[in-house]
Amino acid sequence: MDKYTNSTIVSNLQQKAYQIRREIMVMCAKANTGHLSSSMSCVEIMVSLFYSGIMNFDPKNPYWEERDRFILSKGHASPALYVILADLGYFSKKELDKFAQKGGKFGVHLQKSVPGAELTIGSLGQAFGVACGMALAAKLDRKLYIIFTLLGDGECYEGSIWETAMFAAHNRLNNLVAIVDRNYLCVTDFTENLVALEPLDKKWESFGWEVKRVDGHSFVELLGALGDVKSRKSAKPLVIIADTVKGKGIKNICYNPIWHGTVPQGEDRKKAFEYLKKEYR
Amino acid sequence: MKRKVFNLSQRDIFWDKVYQLAKENRNIIVVSADMGAPSLDKFRRDLPSQFVNVGIAEQNAISVAAGLALSGKKVFVYAIAPFIVLRCLEQIRVNCGIMGIPLTLVGVGAGFGYEDSGPTHHLIEDIGILRSLPNIEVNNITDNIMAEKFAELSCKINDRTNFIRLHRQILPNLYREDTDFSKGFTVIKSGKNYLITSGIMTHVGLKIVNRLRKKKIDIGLIDVYVIPIRDSLLEIIDKSEKLITLEEHFLPCGIGSNLAEMLIDYSIKKPLKRIGLPIEKKYCYEYGGWEVIHDYYGVSEEKVEMNVREFIK
Repeated sequence: MDKYTNSTIVSNLQQKAYQIRREIMVMCAKANTGHLSSSMSCVEIMVSLFYSGIMNFDPKNPYWEERDRFILSKGHASPALYVILADLGYFSKKELDKFAQKGGKFGVHLQKSVPGAELTIGSLGQAFGVACGMALAAKLDRKLYIIFTLLGDGECYEGSIWETAMFAAHNRLNNLVAIVDRNYLCVTDFTENLVALEPLDKKWESFGWEVKRVDGHSFVELLGALGDVKSRKSAKPLVIIADTVKGKGIKNICYNPIWHGTVPQGEDRKKAFEYLKKEYR
Repeated sequence: MKRKVFNLSQRDIFWDKVYQLAKENRNIIVVSADMGAPSLDKFRRDLPSQFVNVGIAEQNAISVAAGLALSGKKVFVYAIAPFIVLRCLEQIRVNCGIMGIPLTLVGVGAGFGYEDSGPTHHLIEDIGILRSLPNIEVNNITDNIMAEKFAELSCKINDRTNFIRLHRQILPNLYREDTDFSKGFTVIKSGKNYLITSGIMTHVGLKIVNRLRKKKIDIGLIDVYVIPIRDSLLEIIDKSEKLITLEEHFLPCGIGSNLAEMLIDYSIKKPLKRIGLPIEKKYCYEYGGWEVIHDYYGVSEEKVEMNVREFIK
């Protein structure tokens, strides 16, 4: 077992994931908005990046030139990132209480002005290309930082994703790491009913990427895939397809597309908090 | 041997200048959507790490350019004019309009530059579209002197995106080498009335104005090359009598509309006639060169001259 799969580390990360999930739920419940289920599916992915030492960053100096960049291409999962950035000290946790409210500093989609957010992201299929441009600039300037970007699986319907994928592989941008939050659900239906995305790994492979497929809620698997990201020998960009559950942790909002942009109310909300508690106690 | 300037296009002059600037500054990057030019061949050969070809993928061109610009690069993004504005409009809106990332977009074939290629390759809607986005200005290039100067000016712009609108036709130079283009417009001829034009239409307008002046009709000519039109133009036209705008663009939201809005906003009451492409004429499938297309839309030299005379008599 290497340092990344050490059971204490995993247990600590699980605790952190629980805390982040709870804070996302509290924040979205208070505001009565936010893409709760899309945020829940990528909590372990983002906790792996921000809390396991994989990424270099400095909350006191958000624009530190040598930082690794995290580009949340699925910008509607901003609640997860906002909670994490506040937890890391990029800004006061009090800001979370004002999420999407008058006088608040950020709303439902990601906003560049928030320290640590990097870009304004709300339109799918675009930020991946910007991340790719950043990776190219790093290569030109011989910088060692890595660009991590988190894509939604539904976002992979956008043609621009594949323009970027082709370009990144051709230019051997092995400093670009994409993680696809493969939660199988879009706004109206499961992806395989809408327009089948599978075999998704084969698609990325054929575009010239190194592909890893993991359980996106398993820290052991995520850290296994991300652990050697800075010492990779391959010239290919890396994509990690992380199989996840949309709404993970809140059983009553899983496997149902209706919860894409809706926050549970009344009895559903009560149940949501109960499930969160039960699953991670 | 020094090249003769008169048979070069705006594109050649523009990219020649960018090449010279990029040789001195490795942070200047050209992102091309599979577009070339003789001077870009030289660029690609001598400065390969500063030339990025994304293939025929305009959306990715803008996104990659935005990532490069955020990392400290001065980026020129190059494609066929209609495609660099319309195919990737949302990328422009998000990166340049919303986030304010400064890029220089370069489109060749403004207006009917791709004459016989048909309406997919014509660009007659962009000014209206880009004029409605913040942080973006259009630079409609009139001649080669201006093309060269705007290559230089683009390198100094870091607070907004500019769209360099290059004409494909070989046009004569109207300006002297030492012209200052920083005002955004030039009064080419002063007069009691003004014809206000832009880009290729300035060449058409100049011929008309010269003819009318010979017939003792008092009309001046203003060339507008930064759009939205700068408010300082109002100081020039304040004392004039009648105004006519002439553009190679659909009439709604074009330069004439821009000026009309300014007159309304500043409560300036002045007769204004907008001449341009009537939207009722839709798209043109006539072939035989840009003059034929101008005739279809009613903006041929002859028809415009008649219109202008009628309006200011």
